[in-house]
Amino acid sequence: MSDGAATLEISALTSGYGEAIVIRGVSMTVAPGEIVALLGKNGMGKSTLLKTVMGFLPAREGKITLRGHDVTRDPPHRIARQAIAYTPQEQAIFQDLSVGDNLRLGQSEASWFEEELARVAQVFPFLKERLGQRAGTLSGGEQKMLLIARALMARPKLMLVDEITEGLQPSIIEQLTEALAVQRERTGVAMLLVEQNVRFALNVADRWAVLKLGEIDDAGKSDAHNAAARIADHLSV
Amino acid sequence: MDVLLLDIVTTAAILFIVASGLMIILGVMKLINFAHPAFLTIGGYAAFVITQLGWNPWLAVPFAALVGFLLGLIVERVIVRPLYARPLDAILATWGLGIVIGQVITIAFGRQVQFVQTPISGAMEFLGQTYSTYRLVLVILAIVLAVALTGLLYFTRFGLNARAVTMNEDLARGLGIDSTKVRSVTFGLGAALASMAGALITPLISVDPNLGLPWLVNSFMLVLVSGVSIPGLMVAALILGGAQVIVSTYVSAILGGLTIVVLAAVILRIRPRGLTSG
Repeated sequence: MSDGAATLEISALTSGYGEAIVIRGVSMTVAPGEIVALLGKNGMGKSTLLKTVMGFLPAREGKITLRGHDVTRDPPHRIARQAIAYTPQEQAIFQDLSVGDNLRLGQSEASWFEEELARVAQVFPFLKERLGQRAGTLSGGEQKMLLIARALMARPKLMLVDEITEGLQPSIIEQLTEALAVQRERTGVAMLLVEQNVRFALNVADRWAVLKLGEIDDAGKSDAHNAAARIADHLSV
Repeated sequence: MDVLLLDIVTTAAILFIVASGLMIILGVMKLINFAHPAFLTIGGYAAFVITQLGWNPWLAVPFAALVGFLLGLIVERVIVRPLYARPLDAILATWGLGIVIGQVITIAFGRQVQFVQTPISGAMEFLGQTYSTYRLVLVILAIVLAVALTGLLYFTRFGLNARAVTMNEDLARGLGIDSTKVRSVTFGLGAALASMAGALITPLISVDPNLGLPWLVNSFMLVLVSGVSIPGLMVAALILGGAQVIVSTYVSAILGGLTIVVLAAVILRIRPRGLTSG
């Protein structure tokens, strides 16, 4: 890692699907230990941006660096191995594998398992008793917690989290808010959260940005007094 | 009756050994390897080479597996990998590859029928019957193979990665799994298993450039009926292999040869996803 390098730096990134351009010249950074929330209505390119950062979609133009390393043309598995934990919005767990196997897949080193499990189980205690249970039989909220737990098992430097709160009841969202804050505090992990839940985003993130038609339309600090109103203005129909 | 039982069990063991490589490749890569018979044939000729060299016939098994694995890696890299996005073309390519391998073997060894040395000859007393020692050893080897494959798939990191790639390749890649490497090793493993099977069955049959062909349809049917799982393949081999032995013994050897295909078609009509799929 280069000294003083951002955990994630996206410069003038353009990408999309086939002929369709979805992300248009986006630039943003996530500093070490920082949490940034990316908000926007459906179809504005939030998930596409994460997929491009992870190498699932090719960058047409621009550059992506992770901790100082250019990963713009790297395949997903190589990017993930740079201590990047990606939790996609859909089909994010292996439903037919056990909870334990899902957690193991979060790690590249099997020798860490017990140590990391003990750490992750402090945040999500239910996991320890359900290691042998098929992941697909967990409730929706438990599956989301498993997702975050699997990401944490990798000892990540950066987490890319796509709409983790979607469909969750407020009590579970509160648990996740606390879990993410605690992990950032303990490990210094940086996060880029794609969200539609403004309250959650502002509670967890240091900064926010709104993506509109593939471009950053507005951005600010979460603790600014008018942050919620500005975001709501962008998200209103 | 006891001889019939032993025939059923040993036939099932042989079928399991022969079909396991095809199943591994289909299960992980979703690819029907039509070159499977060619790899069986390669194993047969590996055993023939060992016989010609005058070496211990048991060496044919690891030698065939090694040759199959290395060839499998090359075939995956050169022929199969460029066609991952076109699965039907990949299947056709393996079919063409099988023909090419058959021709190369013909050029190298000729068309004539060859024979290999049996690692264990003779018969032994078992369940009150005098029975082929080699066929009984094949049962033990089939059990060892089943345990080893189960261990590999369910108790190693490679197995976990392979299962993850099978279930959701993009998600697996996003977790740092090199799915290309998993596919490559899987194809090599499937080819190694097929070649090893070829070496193991040659003491029971003769070696010729078409050695593997008669096994393809039965292997394919067994894998489909198994639901692409190791326990399923064991059960399918016992049921279908058993039926083949019974029909061959009591009705006709010709009809016996058709039994596996016909019975598999009936089972798949009732359980389209195989015996072990929910």
